Order: sequence, then C-alpha cells, then structure tokens
Amino acid sequence: MRARIARRKLSGLAPLLLALPAVIAGCQKANPPMDTLAPKSDFANWIYGLFVEVTWLDLFVLAVVVVAFVLAVFVFSRRAGEGEAASETHSDMRLELAWTLGPAFILLLIAVPTIRTIFREEPPTPPADSLKVTVIAHQWWWEFRYPGTSIVTANELHIPEHRPIWVSLRSADVIHSFWVPALGGKRDVIPGQVNHMWFIANTPGEYYGQCAEFCGDSHANMRFRVFVDTPAQFAAWEKAQEAPPVQPAAGTAAAKGAAVFANSPCTACHTITGVSKGYIGPNLTHLASRTTIAGGIMKNDPKDLKAWIENPVGLKPGSNMPALGLRGPELDDLVAYLESLK
Amino acid sequence: MTAEAAVHEHFEQHVHPGASVYVTVAAVLVVLTALEITVFYVQALAPVMIPLLLILSAAKFVLVAGFYMHLHYDSYVLTSIFGFALAIAALLLISLVLLFSYLSHHLWFAVPLARIILPGH
Amino acid sequence: MAAQPKAIPAEYPSYLKGDPISWLNTIDHKRVAVLYGVSALLFMILGGIEALLIRIQLFEPDNNFLSAHVYNQVFTMHGTTMIFLVVMPLLLGFAANFLVPLQIGARDVAFPRLNALSFWIFLSGAVFLHLGWFWHHGGLPDAGWFGYANLTERQYTPGMAIDFWDIGLLILGVSTVMTGLNFFTTIVTMRAPGMTYMRMPMFVWSILITSILILLAFPPLTVGLIFLFMDRFFGTHYYQAVAGATPILWQHLFWLFGHPEVYIMALPAFGMISEMLPTFSRKPLFGYPMMAYSIILIAFLSYGVWGHHMFATGMGPVADATFAITSMLIAIPTGIKIFSWIATVWGGSLRMTTAFYFALGFIVEFTIGGLSGIMHAAVPIDLQQTDSYFVVAHFHYVLFGGVMFAILGSLYYWWPKVTGRMLSEKLGKLQFWLTVIGFNGTFFPMHFLGTWGMPRRIYTYGAGMGWTFWNQFETVSAFVLGFAFLLMFINMLMSLRNGEIAPADPWDARTLEWSIPSPPPAFNFVTVPAVSGRDAFWAQKYGGTAAGRAAEPRNGEAEAIHIPEPSFFPIVLAAGLLLCGLGMVVDWWRISIAGGVILFLSTVGMAFQYPTFGQQTHETEAASGGGGEDLRKVGLWAFIGSESVFFATLIATFMVYKGRNLSGPGAEILEIPLTSFSTFILLMSSLLMVLALAATQRGDKTWQRVWLAGTVLFGLIFLGDQAYEFTSLYHHGLGFTTDLFSQTFFTLVGFHGFHVFIGVVWLSVLLVVSFMDRLPKSRALSVELAGLYWHFVDIVWVVIFTLVYLMQKVKGA
Repeated sequence: MRARIARRKLSGLAPLLLALPAVIAGCQKANPPMDTLAPKSDFANWIYGLFVEVTWLDLFVLAVVVVAFVLAVFVFSRRAGEGEAASETHSDMRLELAWTLGPAFILLLIAVPTIRTIFREEPPTPPADSLKVTVIAHQWWWEFRYPGTSIVTANELHIPEHRPIWVSLRSADVIHSFWVPALGGKRDVIPGQVNHMWFIANTPGEYYGQCAEFCGDSHANMRFRVFVDTPAQFAAWEKAQEAPPVQPAAGTAAAKGAAVFANSPCTACHTITGVSKGYIGPNLTHLASRTTIAGGIMKNDPKDLKAWIENPVGLKPGSNMPALGLRGPELDDLVAYLESLK
Repeated sequence: MTAEAAVHEHFEQHVHPGASVYVTVAAVLVVLTALEITVFYVQALAPVMIPLLLILSAAKFVLVAGFYMHLHYDSYVLTSIFGFALAIAALLLISLVLLFSYLSHHLWFAVPLARIILPGH
Repeated sequence: MAAQPKAIPAEYPSYLKGDPISWLNTIDHKRVAVLYGVSALLFMILGGIEALLIRIQLFEPDNNFLSAHVYNQVFTMHGTTMIFLVVMPLLLGFAANFLVPLQIGARDVAFPRLNALSFWIFLSGAVFLHLGWFWHHGGLPDAGWFGYANLTERQYTPGMAIDFWDIGLLILGVSTVMTGLNFFTTIVTMRAPGMTYMRMPMFVWSILITSILILLAFPPLTVGLIFLFMDRFFGTHYYQAVAGATPILWQHLFWLFGHPEVYIMALPAFGMISEMLPTFSRKPLFGYPMMAYSIILIAFLSYGVWGHHMFATGMGPVADATFAITSMLIAIPTGIKIFSWIATVWGGSLRMTTAFYFALGFIVEFTIGGLSGIMHAAVPIDLQQTDSYFVVAHFHYVLFGGVMFAILGSLYYWWPKVTGRMLSEKLGKLQFWLTVIGFNGTFFPMHFLGTWGMPRRIYTYGAGMGWTFWNQFETVSAFVLGFAFLLMFINMLMSLRNGEIAPADPWDARTLEWSIPSPPPAFNFVTVPAVSGRDAFWAQKYGGTAAGRAAEPRNGEAEAIHIPEPSFFPIVLAAGLLLCGLGMVVDWWRISIAGGVILFLSTVGMAFQYPTFGQQTHETEAASGGGGEDLRKVGLWAFIGSESVFFATLIATFMVYKGRNLSGPGAEILEIPLTSFSTFILLMSSLLMVLALAATQRGDKTWQRVWLAGTVLFGLIFLGDQAYEFTSLYHHGLGFTTDLFSQTFFTLVGFHGFHVFIGVVWLSVLLVVSFMDRLPKSRALSVELAGLYWHFVDIVWVVIFTLVYLMQKVKGA
C-alpha cells in the first residue's frame, strides 16, 4: 500500500522532479546564446522581473494544487472495499468562494505590473535621443538601414549601449518576427504596416537573434547577430560602414575577383556601392566586416563563403540565390574579393 | 385522432396573430424604410445620420424578428438562442472595427490612459 | 406502484450486430460514433508517426533526416491531424455522439440522418486534406496548422497544397457545424422527463456549451478560408498589403475561431473528467452548480481572448492590455473546476482503475498547462515566449496532458459500454505509467528550450545553441510515449478478440448510460426513464433523496419503438462534396460539376426521405423540451444564430476595409433609388411569406399557394434587381477585384444574394409540394421553417442596406 502510494505520488510530482536536473544543468554551463533569462537591456529586464514574479506565483499555485491533490488521493480518502465514502459533501460555499477570490487576487498581482510594462514598452512616440534603425525582413535574411545615414547592411546589427534604440520593422514579403532574446521580447514584422519596438542595451557584447514567425522553407535559417558596442566602437563602426568599399590592390586575387563580380549576375541582386545596384539580396559593400553570412547560418570565412556561393539552395532550401556555376580559380578570386570588403 | 392531428393540436396552442397584425407591421416597415431613405438624402440630418439610421434599422429588425419570425409569441428559449448569437455577432463586429482603428495606437483614450498608468510620461 | 424498468429480453441484438454494408447507411448514433472513433484512432496513429518524424529530425543539430520542405509538411499535418482528425472526432463524433442520447434518456440525436452526414463529410474532408500527396505540384499543406497569410497566398506558396488545406478545412467545418447543431438541439429538446438542466450529467452540460461554441466560432473561420480561397483563385486581395488589405485580418478571423476551438476541445474533456471522478470516488461531483456556471463563463469569455495569440503583432497597448485582462479572467472559472475536482476526490472511497489514473493525472498536467498559460497572458513575458518552444510546451500540456489524458481515461471508462468487453487493467496501468513518463519527458523540457530561445517550427538548429541535450531527451521520451500508445492499441485488439465480457454497469456508476446493457440495443431504452434528480441511475440503484423511477409508458399504451430508416444519401453526398472540391483544386472542372450534381441530387434525396423536415414523428412529438418548441424549430434557430455570426464577419470585414481602400471607386458609387426598391420588395416578400403561413395554419390551400407564389416572385424580383445592380456597377468600372471596396462589397452582397437564391429554391419546392396537395394544416411547420429562413435573410438585408448603402458616405475607420 505504501509503495503504491509512493509510486502514485511520483506521477504527480514527476514534472517537478524533472525540473531539478535542468536547473542544475542550467547553472553549470554557459548561458545558451538565445537565453531569455540573461537580460541585457531595460526591456529584457522588465520582462525578466515580471517572469520571476509570475514564476513564483505559478509555483505557489502549483504547490497548493499538488498538495491538495496528494492529500485528496492518499490521505483523506479510502480505498474501495475499505468502507463507504468518508463524506458525501458536494458543496461548501466558503470553500468555493475562497478558491474563486484567491486566484482572482493572485491574477491582480500579475495584471498590474503587466499593464504597466505594456504601456512602457509601447510608447506612442520614440523616446528622446533614440537611434533609429530600420529593419526590413526578407525571405530569409535581414536588412538593416540607419535612417539619416547611408548605412545599409545585412544580418548583423550594430547599436550603441545606453542609448534608446527605436526599431522600425517592415517586411518585403511575408510575416517574420524580430527576436533578440537578450535585448527583449519579439515583434512581428508584417507587410503593409510598420511595427516598432525600443530598448536600451546595457552591456556590450554579441547577441543572437532569429526569425520567430514561420515564413517558409528556410524559416529556420533566418538568423542574425546584434553587436552592442561602446560609443567609441559604434562610432568607429559607423564610420567604416559609411566609407566607400575597399579597393583591392591591383594584381591581387581580390582585384581579379572584383572583375568576376562586375561581370557576373551577382550584380543583378546585390549592391556594392559604386559597383552594382541590386536590391533583391543583401548589400555586400562591407561584407567582410560581418561575422556570419547567409542569414547567420554560416561563419564568414573563405571556406564557408565559397561553399555558400557554390550551392545556396542546398544550404538554404528555397533560397532565391541561384548557383551561378562559378568554379575553380574564378570562384576563389571572387571569394577573395568579397572577403576584402571590410 | 391520428398521431399527426394529435401533435398538431399540441402546437395549435400557440397564439397566431391575424393577418391584420402582419399587414400593420408591413406598413410600419415601409414607413421606417422611407424614413431611413429620407435621413440619407436630407443634408441637415448628416450629423445625426449614424445614430438615426441605426435606431431605424434596429426597429425594423426587431419588428421582423418579433412578429414575422414569431419570437414575440414563442418560447423565450428561441429568443435566447437568437439573442445570444446576435450578442456574439455584435461583439465580433465592434471588436474588429475597434482593433483596426488605425492600429489602436490612435484611439482617443490611449494617450490619457497611458498617462494615468505611467505617471511622469 | 412504480413500474420497474423492463428487463431487455436477451434476443434484442446489440447495435453492433448487422451486415457490413449496414455500416455504410447507418444513422444510429452509436454506430456513427463507432465510425468516428475508428477513423479518429487511425488518424491518431498517423498523427503520432508525424510527431515521431519531427522528433527524429530534431534529435541533433543540422540533421538531414527530413528536408526543410518535408519537415514543414510534417509539422503542419501533425497539428492539423491531431486537432481536426483526432481530438475533435474523438470528443464529439465519438464520445458525445455515443453518450449524450444515452445520458439524457433519448433514443437518438435530434437529426439522425444529419448525424450520419456529419460523419461522412468529416471523412471526406479528412481524405481531402491528404489528397495533395498524389499530385506532382501538390504535396501536403506546409504553412502550419493555422496557415498565416500572406505566406499562404499563391505568390509565396504556389502549387496546390494550400488549396487542399483550405477546402479541406471548409469541408471539415461543415461537418462540425452540423454536429454542433445536432447536439444543441438534442440536449435542448430531448431530455428525459424530469431532467432539468441542473440535473443533467456534467458531460452533457459540456457538450451543450461546446455546441454553442461550435455554432458561433466556426463562421469566422469559414469566412477567413473563403477569403483565402478567393485570393488564391479569383485574384482578390483580402490579405495582401498591395491593395490596402492586411495579413492581420487572417489572424483575427482565424483566432476568433481558434481560441473558442481550444475550448471546443477542452470543455468536453472537462465533462469527461467530471463523469469519471465521481464514479471512482463514489461521491457526487463537488459544486455542481458552480461547475455548470464555470463552463458557461469559460465559453463566453473564450470569445474575448483571441488577441492573446497576437501579442507580438503590434495591436497597440490598449488592445494588448484588454486581451491580457480577459485571458487572465478566464483562469478563474478554470481554477474553480480544478479545485472542485480535487474536492470531489477528497474523502471519497477510491477505486484505482486505469480510467481513474488518467483522470487524476489530468488534474496535475492540465494545471501545469494552465499555469504556463497565465504566463502567456502577461503580455511582456509572452513577447519572449510566443513562437518559441515554451508555447509548444504550454499547448501540449493542456491538449495532451489535459484533453488527451481525459480521452484516454474515457476510452478505458466507456469501452465496456461501447464494445461489451473490458480492457485489461494491467496493460492499462502499464500504458498509464509509460504515458506519464513519456509525456512529461517529451514536453516538460520544452519549457526550458523556449526559455533558452529555441523558436518553434524550425526544421533544424545549430550546434552550440545549448538546445541539443534536451532535444535528444525529448526524442527518446517521445518514443516511450509512442510505445505506450502501441500498448493501448494492443489492449484494444486483445479486448475485442477475447476480452472479459462487460456487465451493464462495471464501475457502479451514476448516469443513465450504465442502466442499459453493454453494448446497448439499437433503440437504447425500452422505456424512456423519468428523472427526478442528478445522478439519475445512482438514485435508481440506491434510492436516496432523488429516486428516479422508470416512466410509465407514455399515454398508457405500450410504447412503439420506432427505428428511423437508414440512408445511403449521407455517404453519397459526402462523396459529391469531395469531388466538387477536388475538381476546383486540380482544375478538372468536369469533376467539379459531376460532384456538384451528386451533391445537389443527394441533398434533395435526403430532404425528401421520410421524415422530411416538417413531418411529425414519434421523436419530434416527444422532443419538445425547448420551452415546448418543436426540435426542428430549435435547430433552425440555432442555424440562424450561426449564420448571423457569418454575416457579421462579412460585414465587419467590409467596414474594416472601407477605410483602407487605396484607389478606385468607393461606396459612393452605390445607387440608393434602385436599392431602396429592392429593400421594399424584400420587406413585402416577408409579409407575403407570413401570410402564406397564416393561410396554411387555417388550412386554406388556395391562398397558401397564392402567397407562396408571391413570395417566390418577389424573391426573384429582388435577385433580378441585384443582377441588374451588379451589371451596372461593372459597367461603371467596378469589377470584382477592382479594389478593396469592390471585393468586400460583392462578397457580402453576393453571399446574401446566394442565401436569397437558396430561399427561392426552398420556397419553390414547397410550392410544388403544395400543388401536389401535400401541404395540409398539420404540416404547417414546414412552411414556418421556410419562413423563418426567409425572414432571416430579410433582416440581414435590413442590416446591409443600412451599413453598406445608406452609410456610404461615412469614412472608414
């Protein structure tokens, strides 16, 4: 009988027990890059605070329910054959009132900070001194523009710390969702409307983002990086991005690659300032300044870049970028050229 | 008495209004419709056009439902069924219109509400 | 002296007996239930395989077990299958269908032929969803079970897959709405004498409220799917920003359906738990009145929370806050239920059966799911959690740990009644433990994965994201879960082969279905029981304050038990519907026409098979619980209620898009004089209609024909006017797809016109029947029902005339 009781207890408590190793495991290793529990902005912090509060309240309610459940099943009941029911009670006004008002009160404790935070993170106008960033989501890559400057880049966003960032979100095709967990919640990117979000990042570092609304074949491959820079780093980055593209030294592989680029269909889709105007694919003017390529799925190094150009659709199903059939030295030169575009 | 007739006896107990009631209702409906069209054409009524039209068509709605569809004479069960469905239908319509009112940021009470909730903003 | 329930002689065969063909034309609710149940269990295997395929692909980073495109089809079909082809048919088609008539002491549902039709249309839709597999440019649907626009537009998902999804769901919707209408009418009008609402079993309560949810929540989905169909086939722009429209409209329409939908699944599960816990605790349900009111409150609130699926879409802080509050509010009645269930078990004399284990497990698992739901209601937290594995954990806890556990328990509980055999308790308990381990192992870690940023619906993920270990853990657990289900199927097969024969009442239960043999005879009860309290069967067995006694046979005569005639029309009609849809998708218009003809002919055939709508029978005579109203009238009003929401959705779209018209003519192009004439015509046709009814009620055949003919004539004049108006607008440059105004206008007024057309056909048929001298005073209800439909179409026009025509100068929102 006791063994059976003990086994039955386990079933109700199994999920809680499962949580323990997770907590331990979580504490031991480095934070996962998309961890929502490592807030690095005010917005992410507000969410984190609310999350902790609700988690405690949830655990409290769960504990009450589980304790009541255990008591009901194992303590204050009989087993069939051991006599009739201990009680025939089937109503109790005070009890029913208590378990109506109790949860209502707990919900009030959740509702008030929730509504405050909602209004805080959705102001009608941008906060003063915001840096404005425009995000244009494409199937399956991210375009970033900085209004008021000539900067156009892709898949890697740089922002300064301690300054409000006002993000305007537009879509070039279907619904996507802009999500950098360390910097706050996500906002959907919807064609035909401009959504906004804002936050103030507080710690320099590299943060991972990913599209969070199913958008077709390569939804899983639509990733990006956000770099929170110190003001000095950011200024330097801005300057480099606004500069014209690096001219390859004559006679180098890069120079030959420049010629390959200029004569290839690449120019139909990609922009390199002063070289080509194409708006279907990412701007490549400063490609080499980025740490990843192809929507954050590959490292930005010659080997991966070569693999990407050889077979985009194989690496990113559904991709609009065709394999151009470039091979051998031509391809190597092209890669060298692209990797020189710092 | 055949089963059919016996059943019919049972349902006979419902009140059946006479043709005169129906014709009167029809006359009222005609008048109400004429009024609606008048409201549309008379420029002077433009400021109150929307509430007037809503009231007039609601009156027509109730008359047809109550008399032609017999709800006035039938069990409250039927009125409840229709009434509840209409309530949901109205809720749906009003909610969608509100939600699309320029993405709700620009609802007139959004900014004052924000000031109350977040003093100092 | 109280009459004892007649012992059913051994020679009455069970409902299961009969030749195989009889299953194709059956209209017995129990057989229809078994058809649903078997189909749903087969789809459960399919849906489960789809789940395991997902888990295998996600076992390690950068896996290539399934390509992206195949994975996207698999996760789409997994969700679609589980919701529409497994859970809903098991809860409604199987459990409710089998049990509701038994629990209320009826012989069948209100509309048995419609019931059979619901099943065959369901099967038709289920097959239709999968047909894309067989076509080269088809493939299975791959845009997720809620198919967000504008990904689902032809521009972004060419090919036929989404067409199969769109039309498949429309077909399934038709089936479900018919079911809702049937159960609603049954419960309102066919309860046994003395069974007031507050004496019904809680499962019946849950089905009553679920039926209302179905009737009022499916119309927005239907409208949304129709808009998608028009975009993909006719070139309209309901969801494309290019013309001023927005893909957000799809989300609103879908979730207006989608949120009540999850309660359509949860409420029957709640009802099942409320049946099993009292039986195995040997105690009445705790807090019966509050349990009933909380179901009603949950259902009502469920219409006000749909925006919580859209917190990340930028609805604005006011909308966000409103939906946050309503979503939190819905937790209160849900909490009442959880605590009441625990209080039911408290102090009971517990019989630890497999069914009871699952019901108890439900309490804990559903609570966990509900608590993660509270987190989602807190909007800022949801902005991290939505579209991540956290929400995948949440809905699997409520749908699997909650609803599926209730279903599994119910299978063990009611299996003896349905099949006449017992399932093995040993195997059942093993299945239970493996299910608990497998389920929690698969889905609890998803809370972590979501918290660590893993988005949902991704066919693969990178190494170094910190997600690999728990994904592997989940995959292994999923196979444990799959094995548990395998055990269940083995248990079922063993039971059917040579399981222990079940008595009528193996669990010493409380409700009326246990008072008849296992399995029941085709006619359910020899004499319809009379009821004077809750838990009617318990009172019958043990007396007490609410002693239910078997009724005296009605009218003092022996009750003639009438078994309704079976019919092949349902299966033929469903086949016609499938062909119709198929032809549209694959561009074989001849198939569509053939399907349409079959559809039309079988509809007419079904309508004229005895008893036709309006003919009196034993059942309709007995069934007048709804305030004394005939059940067909109740059914028609329920249908009218549903159609009201349908038109409200079309009107709302018209109004919402009015302000977004980018270019082209707007509402000012509409002519008032012509339409005023149409309005007068339609109003007068209502007068003629009601005079026709009055003539019928006094037996005046001549005037009956005159007024009916007049109504038909005025209906035709109205349609003629509409045709003239449409043509005139076209000549003024307003085509169907010219701009947002034109498409919403033509869709709304076009659908209304279509309803008028159906009315004209209906009335013409009545006119013919009248001339055949087959519409006497006793059949007045036939005319009344047609009249109700006609007047409804008239009052919809009253609304359209005002909101569309007269308010043409009002600027859109």
